[in-house]
Order: sequence, then structure tokens, then C-alpha cells
Amino acid sequence: MPTFESIQRPERWAVPFSTEMTDADVDRLLTIEPFASLDATRFRGKVTLPGILKNDTRLVRCQPGDIVVRQGDWGNSAFLVVAGNVRVELGSAASLPSEILGRQPVHRKSLFESIAQLWRNSSDPEVREIAAYRGDPRIGTRGTGEQTRIYLQDVSTVLDKYQTATIEAGQFFGESAALGRTPRSATVFAERSTELLEIRWQGLRDLMRRDDALQQHIDAVFRERALKLFLMNTPIFQHLGTTEITELTEGAKFETHGQYDWAGSFKRLAKKGIDTDLQHEPLIAEEGNHTNGVIIVRSGLARLSRRHEHGHQTTGYLTPGQIFGLDEIIDGWLGKTPKPLTHSLRAIGIANVVTIPTHLIERLLLETTGRRSLARNKAKTTDPLANQPKIDATRINSDFVEFLVENRYINGTATMLIDMDRCTRCDDCVRACASTHDNNPRFLRQGPIQNNIMVANACLHCEDPVCMIECPTGAIHRQMEGGQVVINDETCIGCSACANNCLYNAIRMVDVRHEDGDFIRDDRKHAPIAKATKCDLCSDQLGGPACQRACPHDALIRMDMRAVQQLTDWYTR
Amino acid sequence: MKTLTARRFRNSGIAIVAALLLVWLSGAMTTALRDTARQTGWILFSMICFLAAYNLRKKLPFLPLGASATWLQFHIYVGLLTAVVFGVHVGWRIPNGLVESLLATLYLFVFASGVIGLFLSRSLAKRLTTRGDEVLFERIPVYRNRLQAEVETIVFEELDEAASTAVAQFYADRLRPFFAQTRNFWQHLVQSNRSRFGLLNEMQAYRRYLNDAERETMARLVTCVEAKDDLDYQFSLQATLKYWLFVHVPLTYALLVFAILHLLLVSAYSGGIS
Repeated sequence: MPTFESIQRPERWAVPFSTEMTDADVDRLLTIEPFASLDATRFRGKVTLPGILKNDTRLVRCQPGDIVVRQGDWGNSAFLVVAGNVRVELGSAASLPSEILGRQPVHRKSLFESIAQLWRNSSDPEVREIAAYRGDPRIGTRGTGEQTRIYLQDVSTVLDKYQTATIEAGQFFGESAALGRTPRSATVFAERSTELLEIRWQGLRDLMRRDDALQQHIDAVFRERALKLFLMNTPIFQHLGTTEITELTEGAKFETHGQYDWAGSFKRLAKKGIDTDLQHEPLIAEEGNHTNGVIIVRSGLARLSRRHEHGHQTTGYLTPGQIFGLDEIIDGWLGKTPKPLTHSLRAIGIANVVTIPTHLIERLLLETTGRRSLARNKAKTTDPLANQPKIDATRINSDFVEFLVENRYINGTATMLIDMDRCTRCDDCVRACASTHDNNPRFLRQGPIQNNIMVANACLHCEDPVCMIECPTGAIHRQMEGGQVVINDETCIGCSACANNCLYNAIRMVDVRHEDGDFIRDDRKHAPIAKATKCDLCSDQLGGPACQRACPHDALIRMDMRAVQQLTDWYTR
Repeated sequence: MKTLTARRFRNSGIAIVAALLLVWLSGAMTTALRDTARQTGWILFSMICFLAAYNLRKKLPFLPLGASATWLQFHIYVGLLTAVVFGVHVGWRIPNGLVESLLATLYLFVFASGVIGLFLSRSLAKRLTTRGDEVLFERIPVYRNRLQAEVETIVFEELDEAASTAVAQFYADRLRPFFAQTRNFWQHLVQSNRSRFGLLNEMQAYRRYLNDAERETMARLVTCVEAKDDLDYQFSLQATLKYWLFVHVPLTYALLVFAILHLLLVSAYSGGIS
């Protein structure tokens, strides 16, 4: 008889959102709106309302000025104001400066500062100016460990100077970003002492399923605030007027496919060995089925595949903004007979998609464009990021595409690819990186190789940056200008959340030193201070990424994986 | 994005046209009884200064001085063009005089080392992907020591368990020197597998003296020998790719020094001829 090790089957709430939620807290929450009026009979089985409140939420107490979320942050939770009120920055005239939000302002080195790196670079690793940690008077921090918060020091001045709106007790905020896995669209801070209920997305999803009013409210807010803007910015709808966009918004269907915590699952899967069977990937649309509408990826990634023998061959991938099914609708409309889907579409990890029904596409898009124009322009595109998810199989090996997709490298907007047929291992790229980062290289010239292309161990500056989700201070953030994912060394508390979340092990925790080479230690336990470090794509340097510019043999490139055409051209050059 | 072949054709075409133009111009000037040595000398010196400046560009990666790859393209084709300018400058003959001969020899060495370097860069990089795991050059001694320790563990385990010392004796005689340091540097460079096959054949032949357990140990040693040979292959090719620059760059500096000396001497003894 075979022997095996057994464990208790993991349950939904094996790891609660917070261990500090008490039964008394839950009882109190059940007396306030919207929970007081929820129909308890709709919560059946194991997922009960008290269970959700106990395990999927946590109470956050904010002091005046505490920043709850920043514009551009990534988060997986929504908030309900329990008591007090918060302010949301409208940002119509002026936005709160990066410095007071605890972000590193974009500072590009001058020519002299660039040259000065020749003699100013430190001889010891990871040297920092200790004065920088003694506190920027503009940045207020309070709390310790993962409870550390950045706060606005002068709330009244901020209220006078910047346009804000109040979110009162009983109102939600942050739900669109949490459910849509998109960056926060505005900065929110506490105006006075405020109690918030932070609900992780799984709990919010379950609440929405069981409460129609909440579902309708969040749906309406999403359609009004996010979907309309998204459709207006989608290239194929850009020429449409407000009326047509509103009609599309009303007719659109919004769906989420896959697991929200896909990064964690993927890391566990990768340890066991990547499964090449696509059956485990959630199917969004299947090859051969009727085309119900155009599917637009709003966030996340999707795999495009075709049946091949007894398996599925990956023929491309979709990144946010790219569309699926339009060709079939056009062909069907031009030929006057419906055409089935020629490919399958599957969520890689998680994909939030918007489906616009076929009849709306035909009426609002195709009829206005006209048959002749469509036939002429079909397959014509000049924008490398435009809708070209299919990879030219005659130019690029399918195993290379499978490798990129299986390992999630397509998530990168600046994936470091090295052509090992041209790389002479001179390490000019590593030296250049070190020279531009105070003698600390921010990547390793090592990594998996497929078809003689190495994906080096460098930050990919992901489209869906899971590293940013759990940062307690927002130190790791996406720069508003340029979109690089960077870490503010001054506000990083060394908690390693980003490094643990990164799928590609591209973030390294280092103990920092001062100029004489000794470790900088905290004043209580005298333990070394750790900081997260990673490639910043040389955002403060003149001329862009030094690694790419330093490669003499055109072997290294920082590739935006959304640009399939560029990738194909580089691969087949 | 242009293909690399298209770029090669374009750049070669430009270089050939420039070379032909230079030869024609020089010929025309000579026909007109004009001395071209001064002009071609300055052109050659400027070209060499420009070629040497590439090393400076590499030292300043933080300045927006253009991509290193673009610099290398200019370095290659301007470098090749210097051969024509050099030929025109010396009148397609072997120079006489000590300084001139030394200068010409230095130039030829720098030129040759550059061409060889280019050939090595293009050919060895490809070959590195064909054998062994991708390893960082600086880590090779670590991997080698690790492999040697692994082999010694296997041999000593065998020595403890078996009554015979056959495997241990073979290790001491034939394998210890092989694992102790990098071997067959030049053979790997010219892609010869002679030593590898020789040693593996020897191990195969030695099996007849071993019992089953010892044969199993020998099979494990074969895997280690193959891994060590692959490591040596990586070392040989990567070292060559790194160290050829230690010939090319110092020679370039020596050439620059002698070229300046040559300029000073020519100016000093020109007698005011413009």
C-alpha cells in the first residue's frame, strides 16, 4: 500500500486578512450600514457574513493626514468609511507633490552629476547617506513595521491648496482598482481621526454576489468612473462620440477570469515544474465557438492558442488594451455569414476583460467605417503596440513563445533579453549598471535560456506589478513619468513584501552601510537596516538604461513585451 | 528594425566606397605631383584617435554618448578603412627607418589583433551556447573546486566500501590532475574533442578490471569528467574572449605614443614644407 504524507485540507479562511479582528468588532460592524441591512439568508454554507467580516476585513484607524492610498498605487482591497471621513484628491488643477506622498521625485542627473559618478561612487557596497534617513521634513511617517504610514503634515494647507472631495461614513472607495486590478486612480487621506474597514477583494466579491444593491452600486461606479474612460482610450473606439461611447458602456459586459493571487500560485507551481497543459488556464473564449463580441483585455494577460494535434499551440498573447474577436466579426460582417472564433483565449493568471456585444460593434463601428474601407484597412497597422497579438509563426519559433508565456515573461514592459549567440560575456552591461548605481549592479547576467535567448535576472517593470501590492508605505511605485517601477529608498522599511511577491526574484534585500563601510543599524535593536533594491531602468540617468547602451554587440535589449512586432523583428534580425 | 545582414552590407558598402574614393583621390593628387603623405598621415592619426576613443566611451557608460553598439560598428569599419589609408600613406611599400618600421609593425599588430578579436567575438560567442551550462567566468574556479570535491567524495566513498583500490588508483593516476586545474585550453579553442574522447575511452577500457559496484562508481565519474570538460570548454572560450583585449588595447596605446612621436619628428624635420 502506498504511503504518503497528509495535511489538513486548506480552507478558504486558513489565513485571515488580519488576526486582530475580534468577534466584538464583527458584532459592531453588523450593526452598521451596509451590513445591517444585508439579507443574512443569502449567505449560505461556509461563507457567512460574520465569516467574511472576521476573515476578509480589517479595521484601520487613521489619524489626521494619514495617507490611505496614493494615486498610481496597486492594491487588492477596497475601503468602507466606518467613522470619520476621508478626502479624495480630485487632481483637476494641481496634484499633491510626490515628495509629500513618500515617493521619490523624478530627478534626472545633470551632466556634471553624471560625470561626477567617476569619483563619487563608493568603494563599499550599498552605501547610503545617513542624513537621508534622518527624515525629509516634508515626509511624515508614523507606526512601525508593516503598520508604518506616511502622513500629510499639514492637512489644512493641503485642503486649501488642492481640490478634494469628502468621502463620508458609510461610503466605499478603492473598489474599482481592487476588482479591476488597476492602479488607484486618486490619492485618499484621512481628514480627521477616522476608522476604515479594509476589505480584501475576495470578501468584496462575495459581498457583491449576495447583495444586489452593493453589486449595482459598484457596477454603476465602475461603469461611470473607469469603463467609459477605458473605452474612450481604446484605439478602435477613439473616433466615436460621447453618445456612442455611452451606448458601448451600457452594453459592455465586465468579467474577471482566473485567480487574483495568481502570482503566489504561479510561484508554487514553478517550484514543482511548470505545467505545459493549458487545461488549467481559465478559458475566456473557445476556438470554434460563435463570436459573441469583441473581447478587450482591461488588465492582466491572456494567451491566444489554436488546437494542434492533441494539444494547444500558443500563437500569441494579449496585454491590456488589446482586443480579440474583431477579425471574425469583420469577416462575418463582410461575408454576411457568422464566422466562428479561429483561436482560443485563456487568462494567464488573471485577466479582467470587457466584452462588447457583436451587434454594437456592427452598428457603431463597422457600419460607420464602411465595407470598402474595412476591407482595405484590415490587417494594416503602424502602431507597434496596436492590436497585433498573433505572432508570425513563420518568423518566430513556437517553443520560444511558449517559453515566454509559460514563465510569464510577457508581463514585462522592459524585459532584459540577451541574444547569447552575440553576447561575448564581456560584462560591459553589468559594469555599466554598477557605474550608474554607485558601484552596485542591479541585475544578474544569469537566467533561463531558450533558443539561445536569455531572460536575464533583472526587473521586468511588469505590466501587472504584483510587487507593489503589499508595500505598506508605497515606497515601491510606478513613476508617473515613464512608468518605471522604482523604489524610494528613504521610505522603504525593508519588510521584503515586494521581494517575496516578485515572480522573477528580481528584487534583492540588502543591508545598507554608511560611508565608512559599517552597517547602518536601527537605534533600538542595533540590527542592520535592510532596503529593497532593483533595476530602476536608469530613470535618473541621462540617456536611458545603461545596460542596453553599453552592449557593444547588440546582444542585450530591454523589450516591451507588448510590442509583439518589435519582439519578432529583434528575434529574427 | 533592420536585419544584421542588411546592416553589414550597408556598412561594408559605405566603407568600400570610402576606400575607393580615397585611393582615387590619392592617385589623382600624385598625378598632379602633390605629396599626399601629410594629408593621409593626419587622416590616419585622426582615425586612430577616434578608434582609441571607443575605450573612453566604454569607461563613461553614464553619459549620453550614443550606444556602444553604434560605436563598435564605427570602430570596425573605420578600423578596416585605416588599412587602406595606411597603405596609401606608406605608398604600399615596407617602410624603412627604425621609428617608421616600429610604427608600421605596431599598426599591423593592432590591426591584426582587431580583426582577430572581431572574428573571435562573432564565432566564439555562438560556440559558447553549444556546450555546457551557461556559467559566469568568475565563478568557474568555484564550480571546478565543487566538482573536484564531488569526485573525491565519490572516490573515497568507494574506497571505504570496496576491498579494491582500483577506482581510487585510477583517480590518483589519471583524474586528479584533470580535475585540479583547467585543461586542454587550446584544444577547446580549436574545437578538438581529442582529449575528452581519449580520457573517456580510457575510462571505458578500465571497466574490464572493475566489479559491478566499481563500474557504477566509474559511470558517476564519467558524468563528472564530462561536466569538467564542458567547464574547461567554457573557460577556454570565455577567457579568450576576455583576454584578447589585453593585447589589442595596450598595443593601441603604444601605437598612439609612437604615432605622436612620428608626428613630432616629421614636423621637426619637414623643413617648413607645407
